[in-house]
Amino acid sequence: MPRLKLFYRLIVRPLFREPIRLALMVLAVALGVAVVLAIDLAGNAAAGSFHSSMESLAGGNDLEVVAPGGAPESVVATLAEQPHPLRITPRMEDFAVDTRTQETLSLIGLDLIAEGSRYVSESGVAAEDSRNRQTIEESIQELEDPKSIWVSPSLGVKPGDHLKLLINDAVQDCIVRGVLPQSSANESVILMDIAAAQRALNRHGRVDRILIKLPENANIEEWRKKLSELLPAGVEVRPQGAGTQENRKMLAAFRWNLRLLSYIALVVGAFLIYNTISVSVVRRRPEIGIVRAIGAGRNEVLAAFLGEAVCLGLAGALIGVPLGRIMASGAVKLMAATVDSLYVSSRPGAIGLSWSSVALALAVGVGVAVASALSPAREAMQVSLTDAMAQGRREYIAQTHKGRDLIVAAILGALGAFAARMPAFAGKPMFGYLATILLIAAAAYAMPALVNFVSQLAAQALGKLLGVEALLASRSLAASLRRTSVLVAALATAVAMMVSVGIMVGSFRQTVVAWMNDQLPADLYLRPAGDPAADRHPTISVELPGKIAALPGVAAVNRLRAYEISYNGMPATLASVDLRVLRAYRNSNFFSGRPAAQVLGQLRGQNNVIVSEPFSYKHHVKAGDTIALSLGEYRASFRIVDVYCDYASERGYILMDRDVLLKYLPDPAPTNLAVFVAPSTDVDQVRKEIQEVAAGHRILIFSDRDLRKEAVRIFDRTFAITYALEAVAVVVAVMGIAGALIALVIDRRRELGLLRFLGAATGQIRKMILVEAGLLGLLANLAGFALGYFLSLILVFVINKQSFGWTIRFHWPFAVLLGALTVVYLATVISGLYPARVAARLNPLEVIHEQ
Amino acid sequence: MNSSKLLLVILLAWLPAAHAQYQAALPGYRYEFPRDHFNHEDYQTEWWYTTGNLKASDGREYGFELTFFRQGVDRDPKKNDPWDIRDLYLAHLALSDVGAGKFYHTERTSRAGPGLAGVDEKAGRIWNANWEIRWNGDSEIALRAVEPRFSITFLLHPEKQPVINGENGISQKGAGKGHASHYITFTRLQTSGTLQLNGKPISVSGTSWMDHEFFTNQLDSAQIGWNWLSLQLADDTELMLYQFRRKDASADPYSSGTYVDAQGKSLHLASTDFRLMPTGEAWTSPATSATYPIAWTIEIPNLGIKLNATTRLKSQELAGLGNLAPNYWEGAIVLEGTRGGKAIHGVGYLEMTGYDRPFEIGRQP
Repeated sequence: MPRLKLFYRLIVRPLFREPIRLALMVLAVALGVAVVLAIDLAGNAAAGSFHSSMESLAGGNDLEVVAPGGAPESVVATLAEQPHPLRITPRMEDFAVDTRTQETLSLIGLDLIAEGSRYVSESGVAAEDSRNRQTIEESIQELEDPKSIWVSPSLGVKPGDHLKLLINDAVQDCIVRGVLPQSSANESVILMDIAAAQRALNRHGRVDRILIKLPENANIEEWRKKLSELLPAGVEVRPQGAGTQENRKMLAAFRWNLRLLSYIALVVGAFLIYNTISVSVVRRRPEIGIVRAIGAGRNEVLAAFLGEAVCLGLAGALIGVPLGRIMASGAVKLMAATVDSLYVSSRPGAIGLSWSSVALALAVGVGVAVASALSPAREAMQVSLTDAMAQGRREYIAQTHKGRDLIVAAILGALGAFAARMPAFAGKPMFGYLATILLIAAAAYAMPALVNFVSQLAAQALGKLLGVEALLASRSLAASLRRTSVLVAALATAVAMMVSVGIMVGSFRQTVVAWMNDQLPADLYLRPAGDPAADRHPTISVELPGKIAALPGVAAVNRLRAYEISYNGMPATLASVDLRVLRAYRNSNFFSGRPAAQVLGQLRGQNNVIVSEPFSYKHHVKAGDTIALSLGEYRASFRIVDVYCDYASERGYILMDRDVLLKYLPDPAPTNLAVFVAPSTDVDQVRKEIQEVAAGHRILIFSDRDLRKEAVRIFDRTFAITYALEAVAVVVAVMGIAGALIALVIDRRRELGLLRFLGAATGQIRKMILVEAGLLGLLANLAGFALGYFLSLILVFVINKQSFGWTIRFHWPFAVLLGALTVVYLATVISGLYPARVAARLNPLEVIHEQ
Repeated sequence: MNSSKLLLVILLAWLPAAHAQYQAALPGYRYEFPRDHFNHEDYQTEWWYTTGNLKASDGREYGFELTFFRQGVDRDPKKNDPWDIRDLYLAHLALSDVGAGKFYHTERTSRAGPGLAGVDEKAGRIWNANWEIRWNGDSEIALRAVEPRFSITFLLHPEKQPVINGENGISQKGAGKGHASHYITFTRLQTSGTLQLNGKPISVSGTSWMDHEFFTNQLDSAQIGWNWLSLQLADDTELMLYQFRRKDASADPYSSGTYVDAQGKSLHLASTDFRLMPTGEAWTSPATSATYPIAWTIEIPNLGIKLNATTRLKSQELAGLGNLAPNYWEGAIVLEGTRGGKAIHGVGYLEMTGYDRPFEIGRQP
């Protein structure tokens, strides 16, 4: 028998007999592939091709010199004087907000005199070419003008335009003097002369970074050492872009978790393919018998069914690729928001659909399809000629194996529990992931027993409750046990994922909310306007805290200052608080459990610090340890007196006394203010007074309640992508249920026809199918909920802890879970509507006639 | 090289608004050393110009130019941040590898910044990043300049005391009070040191010449350029001559020179005391299309001097980048001729400006 003909007979023709079911299957694979691809693409755009937004106009250098809080300017001179052919580029690097779009832009200050030939003339910045006949004196004046800026083309402005920029807490009117050439980085950047930038930022005497170009073919490491020796202890010389590398490292765990989450939809898809092929094998048993009888070999049968899987996978992947590309645009926005608020300021790169990602998508789609089809296809191959005609035998096999499956499930579950107790591997919760896979597998194996048990239990009860149709429905589910189990497993996996992530996020949210209650002892909080980000620390004008403190209703003002630093090759935040002003916290936030006053008292005037939990976890330090910190040009040792809970940022925090930090970094400008209102004073009144005092400054004022709301808003934004991924997995599962029910109906044409022939009303048939759908949903919800609970334990206590270092208190988000489960349940029942209609429409005469 | 900055030096000098804050070079200035080897920030423009003819032990000849400029931009006392541009510091570095027929040149432009460029009398330094003139005591000057393709490390020892060019402490450049400069020259500096070229160190020795000039607004608007020569003759005498090139090609009465005898005594030469004529041999720059007369005859009847100045390397033009750049030719020359009928030879440097186009831009309307 020609192979193609065999494939057509055995596979193509039956498939096209049920186009809707076929479409649903393909779509399910497509969605799974699309999600994987979307997350892959978005991850690349938002985090993978991530390069610090500060790398604008920084290309082509070999080394960079940095110091927490800025390198003293004398370092620039020291480097420039070295008798080596080095190119030295000092830079100011900060942020400005475009007040038209509220977009945060990189603000770069360069020595435009020295850069003249490199940037200015190439870019048309120099007045010399564009508006020729301008005297050079005029161009120097222009260059020196604190209002002068040069911008990237993406801003869409032209020379002469005015641009209002929010820099720190003030809006500055700037004049566009030129447009920079299109750079490959696709960055929006504001360029200023270094003097103007220092003035605009009100930071003098330090530069943020010094780039160094070495002679050609230089040994970068040798030069790094050589130059390090010339510079003060706190100043670090490192390969250019080391910051980007650090950020990438920091983002790695985030990307990993997201990527793994994206595979869940695919796992759900795999269950469905398994189910589809299994069903096909059972239903085409007569055909298998026929083709075998006319001479087809076992391998040909195997190849035909695997071929079906390949076709399904390929078709799904082909639809999944463009779908994934579309979904990536949405995903990248969500991811970028998360990266921004939790990690580092970045601008997502363009989404690049490379051949390798297309290949990955196709491989994943086909691979998953083939892998999940392998077992049913092998069974098809083993069908003997005599078996081929005997219906029901296979289901019997499945039933007899359910005891063995239960033992396998128990072993897998135990292994999973063991894996969950293992420590992180190479900084990643590898065993945590393994544990989730083992648990999902265990659940799949346990499913037949569960379905059998529940449906038998339910049969009588349902029969009494909903009538004979329900009794028939539950019996029928138990009868086609294998198929039902796979369906339930698919939906249960999706539900479990939803439940576990729901519990994890809910617990996290609750933990953060509870923490914030302890964390916010002041009445009002101030920060410069503009979108907050974990690594941006715009400052408040120095004189403002004093003015606010002088208001009659204000008891005290605490000045907080934060700096972006690098500790042991990882980004971290160094912050100081005014311990003279700090008020008692409601609860101890410290690991030691000591009261806040006692811990904070140890910081005053001392080289003592407290560090946040993620910092402690990442750098393996604890109370009593000593850490060496670079502060400006200095390097000093600090003792960790305690570790505190902190959920504000995944990057670690180091906190010290303001007076201590000022000794090293004397810039007095605060980044945040906490205002304590005098007793029996109206907070709103004080707020109004502060607004008056702060007129002319772009300051946002938050009450502790606003702040909590804001924090929760950021929190929810952070997890938006997680919710989106869950939703897709659930949609895939529900689609699978619908497809499977259609199959069920078609399979049982004979049975349904017989029922009708025996006098069952169409309504009864419809009801029976709907009850089946409802039972499936119920089973899946039950199983998914149980599995989800265990997965959530792994997520909360293993994966999250090992990835991010946060301790989360377990919390049941009842309302959310109840809502989600209801939605899934309803979706399952609704997905039964169409099959029910198909079943009801069966013409009993025709069906019986087929016999 | 971005020699627009050289133009800038000249150009800003013409702007009355800009020089209002500065002092003009006036007669009767009392020179005092070492103070006057360093900065004069009351004057808008100042430069330290070192050129030299050197030989390696294998006889190969090299010429070099290392020049530091300071151009006052603004004297507003409110400009007190290190990055504020009170002055622009420019520097030019050129190397003539005569034997190989190669000419290298580069420039840098800096602001004082936190110590990127400047003049520090106490430390005895005039520097622009890692190019510097450093005084080691009164009788030794160290030059250093590092560039990716080549670097120089020379020690210079003055054989004669510095001379003050011109009369009454000023070198008059044009009609009217203040169109003048204070102009100090070391006419003969014994030079030795190392030249690093393409990664190879070469020991060299020879003689250098160092001009130090400070002024405000010295040129007049009809002067479109100049020819300038420094000559070191084998009889231990030296000559400095410059000739302005006027718009109408007429002789400029303010051209002048200085003769220094073997004992170091200087003699001012007025425009009528010497004749400086191109021989007709010219070189046209492929970069700027400017045609430079690269061979000259020099006659100083009173001193009985007749010299031919030629160069062994025609392409010694410092060609700029922008279209405003005043490109100029500055290169090593050799001298052959007679003095009092006896054959004499020597080495020197020739500078020619304003050949690619007259200095029109930025002139007062």
